[in-house]
Amino acid sequence: MASLLDALVTGLVYGGVYALLALGLTLQYGVARILNLAYGDFLIAAAVFATLLYQHYQLSPLVSLVLVAPISFLVHLLVYHLVFVQLERRSGSWRAMEASSILLAFGLSFVVSGAMLAIFGGKLFSYSYLLVPVHILGSVVPANRLLAFVLALVFGGIAYLLLVRTRIGTAIRAIAVDPDGAPLAGIDVRRWAGITFAFGGIICAAGGVLISMFQTFNVPMGVSFTLKALVVVIMGGVGNAVGALVAGLILGVTESFVARYVSPGLTLAAVYGLFVLAVLTMRTGILGRALR
Amino acid sequence: MLEIRELTVHYGLHEALHEVSIAVAPGEIVVVLGANGAGKSTLLKATMGMVRPTRGHVTLDGLDLTSLIRRRLTHQIVEQGLVLVPERGGTFTDLTVQENLTLGAFPRRARAREAELRAFALELFPRLKERLHQRVGTMSGGEQRMVAVARALLSAPRFLLLDEPTLGLAPVLAKQLLRVLPQIAAEGIGILLVEQNAQLSLSVAQRGAVLSNGHLVHAASAAELRDDPAVRAAYLGSE
Repeated sequence: MASLLDALVTGLVYGGVYALLALGLTLQYGVARILNLAYGDFLIAAAVFATLLYQHYQLSPLVSLVLVAPISFLVHLLVYHLVFVQLERRSGSWRAMEASSILLAFGLSFVVSGAMLAIFGGKLFSYSYLLVPVHILGSVVPANRLLAFVLALVFGGIAYLLLVRTRIGTAIRAIAVDPDGAPLAGIDVRRWAGITFAFGGIICAAGGVLISMFQTFNVPMGVSFTLKALVVVIMGGVGNAVGALVAGLILGVTESFVARYVSPGLTLAAVYGLFVLAVLTMRTGILGRALR
Repeated sequence: MLEIRELTVHYGLHEALHEVSIAVAPGEIVVVLGANGAGKSTLLKATMGMVRPTRGHVTLDGLDLTSLIRRRLTHQIVEQGLVLVPERGGTFTDLTVQENLTLGAFPRRARAREAELRAFALELFPRLKERLHQRVGTMSGGEQRMVAVARALLSAPRFLLLDEPTLGLAPVLAKQLLRVLPQIAAEGIGILLVEQNAQLSLSVAQRGAVLSNGHLVHAASAAELRDDPAVRAAYLGSE
């Protein structure tokens, strides 16, 4: 019973972080129309950044979060305008760009992960931060995981409120549902799509720092994070924040149960399994129709 | 004054609009009549920079919008005070009425007058008051047209372009919708309306013109057009 509870709590903690990751990816895809396959690699870059700062300067990952947010925003804004907007100009239309941007993002993934591999190779990164046991629901969770979970929910909640409650957030949702009609409301689609892409980049980087707080990782793992975020986006419905939360928790719990009761080696297979199941059975995500 | 001068649009080799010139004064309602494919929508889209004209100029109160149009910077044209309600569109159907109105006031220049214009729009369309939190996509066609016009008003237009607002509406609803236009014009907003419904639109407009195969063939006062046998035959039925 205790181990069942352990698996559940661990799963929920991971799931909360996956939900946050999915929110960033779905913003980038839903608004900027870029399926960012380099997402996990940018995430790893932020995780490496936090780890190195902790190891060399004993800098708290909470400080790294503050540092990494503006850096990631700028990097993503540059990538959007220097790479993807050029692609849009060449492909002639917003919609034609959607398909070719996938290939471009795939290439970007190789560039980002390749650069990091050249510097760090495949070595494992980890550091001990807040490694104290916390008793919760009769289970024991390390404080770092709990903090990561809480921060993931807080960041996700803030992003959600910004999208729903502010005029700019509403404009961003309008671009997601009707990119052709948005200019008629005076919305500069390219500008706000770029800012949204970069905002997704902040979420991605924040997720990377949170993951570095409790998980050992290396550069080649970037792809698996892209995949997990993608599975959650598809299960939750593109552009659906609440769906992403539910799907993220399901994915986290599934992983945790498979690792504990089947085999730790099969967790990625379980992710793929869920992915296939989601694609085959749910065209619009768990919570009904997507935003689009 | 909104002045469209010698606007020409090609779709590939096909000339959709040929040197069309038309002007609208503040507070004036001008209607362009024409059959399907005459180039009515193209005229409005080219004016908003949604399609790139081959030749021609557009000026808004003396300000030349032509370079914005050629670069297809529609959002900046809206920022200048020229606003279009497109055919069957002009709303974000997945968002609520309230959110649509909020986005109407997205242009920076519209923010200062947002509260005033929101009150004005809801006064014109009281029905929307009860539906502020309803998703636009779940509303009737007539109500969606109201949201589209209300949203356009929130953008604080100096000139309002309407692309067949009565299309697909029952006659009663079409009449209700067009009856609102003189009240909007009374605020000093010039309206350029393209329509197939000649009878109704000529009853609210001061001037009109007929667009045929991309050529503006007949421009006159609304009263003259109503009595013109050719217009009667083509657009008013033969009664």
